[in-house]
Amino acid sequence: MSTSTPATDGPPAVVLSGITKRFPGVVANSDVHLTVRTGEVHALCGENGAGKSTLMKILYGMQHPDEGTIEVAGKAVRFRSPADAIRAGIGMVHQHFMLADNLTVQENVVLGAEALHGIGGRARKVILDLAKSTGLTVDPAVLVERLGVADRQRVEILKVLYRGAKVVILDEPTAVLVPQEVDELFATLRAMQQQGFTFLFISHKLDEVRAIADSVTVIRRGTTVGTADPKAVSSRQLAEMMVGSELPSPETRESTVTDRVVLRVEGLGLVAEEGTRPVLDGIDLVVRSGEVVGIAGVEGNGQTELVETIMGMRRAHHGRVLLADRDVTRLGTLARREAGIGYVPEDRHRQGLLLTQPLWANRVLGHQTREPVAKGPWLDLAGAKRDTERIVADFDVRTPGIDVPAAALSGGNQQKLVVGRELSGDPVLLIASHPTRGVDVGAQALIWDEIKAARARGLAVLLISADLDELIGLSDTIKVMLRGRLVADADPASVTPEDLGSAMTGAGSTSAAVAELGGGE
Amino acid sequence: MNPSEAPATVPPPRKSRRLPGWAVGVLGVAGAVVLLSTTSYLTGVPQLTSTGTIQTAVRLALPILLAGLGGLWAERAGVVNIGLEGMMIMGTWGAAWAGYQWGPWAALVAAAVFGALGGLLHAIATVTFGVNHIVSGVAINLLGAGLTKYLSTLVFFPLSHNPRESPAVPKFDTYSAPGLSEWLGDLEAQQRVGLSDVAGILRGLVTGVSPLTMLAIALVVGSYLVLWRTRFGLRLRSCGENPVAAESLGVNVYRHKYAAVIASGALAGIGGAALVLNPGQPGYLEGQTNGRGFIGLAAMIFGNWRPGGLLGGAALFGYADGLQLRSGGKTFLALVYGAVLLLAVIVVWQLVRRRWFAAAGGIVAAVALYAVYYSVDEVPSELTTYAPHLVTLIVLAVASQRLRMPAADGVVYRRG
Repeated sequence: MSTSTPATDGPPAVVLSGITKRFPGVVANSDVHLTVRTGEVHALCGENGAGKSTLMKILYGMQHPDEGTIEVAGKAVRFRSPADAIRAGIGMVHQHFMLADNLTVQENVVLGAEALHGIGGRARKVILDLAKSTGLTVDPAVLVERLGVADRQRVEILKVLYRGAKVVILDEPTAVLVPQEVDELFATLRAMQQQGFTFLFISHKLDEVRAIADSVTVIRRGTTVGTADPKAVSSRQLAEMMVGSELPSPETRESTVTDRVVLRVEGLGLVAEEGTRPVLDGIDLVVRSGEVVGIAGVEGNGQTELVETIMGMRRAHHGRVLLADRDVTRLGTLARREAGIGYVPEDRHRQGLLLTQPLWANRVLGHQTREPVAKGPWLDLAGAKRDTERIVADFDVRTPGIDVPAAALSGGNQQKLVVGRELSGDPVLLIASHPTRGVDVGAQALIWDEIKAARARGLAVLLISADLDELIGLSDTIKVMLRGRLVADADPASVTPEDLGSAMTGAGSTSAAVAELGGGE
Repeated sequence: MNPSEAPATVPPPRKSRRLPGWAVGVLGVAGAVVLLSTTSYLTGVPQLTSTGTIQTAVRLALPILLAGLGGLWAERAGVVNIGLEGMMIMGTWGAAWAGYQWGPWAALVAAAVFGALGGLLHAIATVTFGVNHIVSGVAINLLGAGLTKYLSTLVFFPLSHNPRESPAVPKFDTYSAPGLSEWLGDLEAQQRVGLSDVAGILRGLVTGVSPLTMLAIALVVGSYLVLWRTRFGLRLRSCGENPVAAESLGVNVYRHKYAAVIASGALAGIGGAALVLNPGQPGYLEGQTNGRGFIGLAAMIFGNWRPGGLLGGAALFGYADGLQLRSGGKTFLALVYGAVLLLAVIVVWQLVRRRWFAAAGGIVAAVALYAVYYSVDEVPSELTTYAPHLVTLIVLAVASQRLRMPAADGVVYRRG
């Protein structure tokens, strides 16, 4: 069933045939077939909840298939645990990094594989050699909590290689990277491919799949739809295979920007630790009614702090925040929310939802003082449930009911719930941090549509995103953030992701390409 | 391809003002000695650094140290062990039961076994059945107290005619460093500023040393080596930091947690034995532990979940306890004066770092303490009895802000 470029002869690296996996109430995988040839980069595409993760967990021994067989390098295998998979030469880089922050890089790498080279100097030497031969340079002695995202990913890949894996599963490896880092990662992968490594690349970013993969298998609703040659099909065709419908686009057509200022930030400054560089430095920002202002920036350059300062979760050291001419600098978070700020946090698990609580309880969060979930000093549970039903219907949250815990929903549906909640109660300003991170194409389209519709109704939106296409498509104005400062403006009508990317890393921020394009204010 | 050129995602490295752990320890010890000898000089209370005080402090620090070490093992593996107190109580009973029949070494072994049984119970509850760690720990504390009460009525009452007390338990012989001890004694007797204080402290450490003390020190060093220098220790710590990641790498999280919590119980049990085998005690006594398991936990938190820091914390609590027990309220008042001196140093430091608020707080506290020192002649004995508990409270309130506990500590982990 596969069609495209081979790398070496011999039996395929991995063959999955007829894999079926049932969980109580759902069939996660049914009759999945997948053939990965040795030395290729094989992409696995599908919406969130389509069953990619379960399939990879089966291949990595974390789940056991109810039916079907697994062959690795021509031999049938049964994995009882990840240790078995590792022994068979399969390694996995998880989407959410599996690293212990308080251990060093070396400790993280050798953990579980101490028998190979011990945990001391010998292991260190092996790690350095590996790093050198693959280009995954990182200092083994440093604590993981000090590392940025791209470095953590390198550690994850090193971990897998250290165990002697020849087949590496990469679960959405680019979700957290900026374009330049993605390019680096791809360069690394290609170099390693030359050395005989095989990669299984899970993604729903189709451009990237087409850039790196030798063949691509699409999975939809738990079963494989087919395998294609990425050089021969377009992104649109792939997307249609994935969702079976038309491709959404973040593009907004006509401007709805008015001249009524909703949010004005003046000279905002924030110092995280005494004596260090400020994380926010003299931020001036205006968001008008009907306007989407996008903030571009590599993660860790102050976007999180900016949002949290505007939300009142951190106290600004300098400057003011005005919401429709009202100074809210000294107000707490709840008061700011009551004043009409909606907030889609960057990490819905950490800040947006109580995973173990039912959906209607999550509806109450942040609205606990307002209609329709509260009446005077009391919570209005009936009202909360009614309004949750409304969100579930209007935002197409796919759930068996509003009494299931939030954890039971897929990422996309959780995010739809959060967006629905934050757009409730007629906010005047929406702060959206990575609103479509880690959600599938369908949910992404819906969230984009809702933001666009709210914008058309006059909502002011402050958008932070690592997805540059989303940022360019949705925004009316883009500002580039670097080391706690807004360093450049960009015009979404003409800027390219590459321009933005180089401005974000500081490489081209002064090259004036972006600043000249910009006509922000 | 040059991966090292992605500077924007890498947070700037913090200023490398971090000293290695041993240097911090040496500085801390030196600072403490300087502080004590200054206080002793200014207040004219030589007992602060006398051999006797230090000896008592060491004896009293041992149970706290061992309990804290038990806490360290459990919490490094991600299990909060608030049941240390109960395991310690079981250790005291086991030590007395085996000790009066077969001598001190048997007492140690039996205490470890009894404590380990408590640990096993905690492990079964928290690891296998996913019970909240605090709930299970509290249950074990109650169980330890109740069970030993029953057992001592059953076993000890016919022998000692007191259900709350065991027959006398033989103690270890103690050893002194020959020559060194006498020389330091001479030096101490000369009452020279500074020098005699150091001599007194050293003499307290090398005179009348019980094998139990040496064992405890060996256990601290051994715990460090096992937890930080072996494969087993790395795996154990990974269970406390990120058990999901550990499991994904083939680490058997349940087994390591079991091992850690059982070891934790055994250490707490030995801590109980240290109470029973203390020369000042006849043997098992009901209520003997008197919250030392909790203080051990506090010492561990004070020590930032590290063996060296834990040693410092145990020494601090043991010293506070020893001082009040041996010399009473007047000497303890001198310690208040010492606290004022310490606060003065801290205030200067905060002023240098331009932390006005912290400095102001320090000044207020220092003035208040000095007022206490100035206005009373003697701390009432009702208060000094609770010295270790008070010190625990104050130290934790002040120190708990910059600590780094294991990331998954206290989180119930379920496989899969």
